[in-house]
Amino acid sequence: MTKGVQTALRKGVVDMLPLSFAVLPWGILFGSIAVQRGFSWFEAQMFSALIFGGAVQIVTVELIADNVSLLTILFTAFVISSRHFLYGLSLRERLSPQPLKWRLGLGFLLTDELFAVSGHRRAYQGRLRLFYALAAGGSFYLAWNLWTFIGIVAGASLPDLTDLGLDFAIAATFIALVIPSIKTLATLVACLAGATAAVVFQLWQFELGLVCAALIGMSAGYVVSKMRGAA
Amino acid sequence: MTFVTIVLLACVTFTTRYLFLEGRLPVRLSSNFKQFLSFSGPAVLSAIFVPILLVHDNQLDLSLQNPYLWGGAMAVAAGYRTGSVYWTVGLGTLVFVLVGYVF
Repeated sequence: MTKGVQTALRKGVVDMLPLSFAVLPWGILFGSIAVQRGFSWFEAQMFSALIFGGAVQIVTVELIADNVSLLTILFTAFVISSRHFLYGLSLRERLSPQPLKWRLGLGFLLTDELFAVSGHRRAYQGRLRLFYALAAGGSFYLAWNLWTFIGIVAGASLPDLTDLGLDFAIAATFIALVIPSIKTLATLVACLAGATAAVVFQLWQFELGLVCAALIGMSAGYVVSKMRGAA
Repeated sequence: MTFVTIVLLACVTFTTRYLFLEGRLPVRLSSNFKQFLSFSGPAVLSAIFVPILLVHDNQLDLSLQNPYLWGGAMAVAAGYRTGSVYWTVGLGTLVFVLVGYVF
């Protein structure tokens, strides 16, 4: 392994670290819910190892335990996961020309968190940036599975950590990634419109809220950029 | 049976992540659509972090006792001034913890 690759791997892990720790309460919450709802430790761990999604796991584990029909379960998972189509589309230009093993690996690891650290204008370009993304996504995967495991074995004896405020770390990290990227009025409008719509949808408890809010923000940004381009 | 369901769920989430990374998928992105997609990062991340700051227990919380609001404001200011992830997360979290401790 060359020194460059090592540096890229280390940077990927370190950049993801705040997000890896921020999801600890939810990993533990998921593991303990799964065990409480009668899943074996193996099944509970397989949720995190194979499905690898926060909200989708917590929702579907309840649906399965309540004997909801398979079709409903899969459709619910599809709705919650649909925001990933947006990430795939945004990264298509950079990732689709890459070899299959990179596409499969990084595709599997493409969470909100990996997309969040993929904002660099040269992200995924060149081998080192691929290794960077692999380390960021891979370390997040290991963390999520470790937190799940802790929830499975110790969830019942741990207090609820989700109201400890660790979600602030997610917000702060995303702020750190978004604010410096706001260089034009169009981007600012995209952020404000997306955020406003997301707050409204969240209050309505609308399942597709995040995707719709993102699309509203992107449309607003696009319209402003076109208007300013024409002016 | 549960394991089969888990595998099917894994197929659903993987498909939503992988589909558009596949070059053989016959989708051509026009330059207008690429411009639209260029706003996805800021729009998605804002749509995730702002509700974390403002919505708690399904209620809009704009009170001055909301530590997320103070921490978030500090993080935005630090991000704007320094552009550094470490300063932004560090100062934002510091204010968040202090305000949470006071109220």
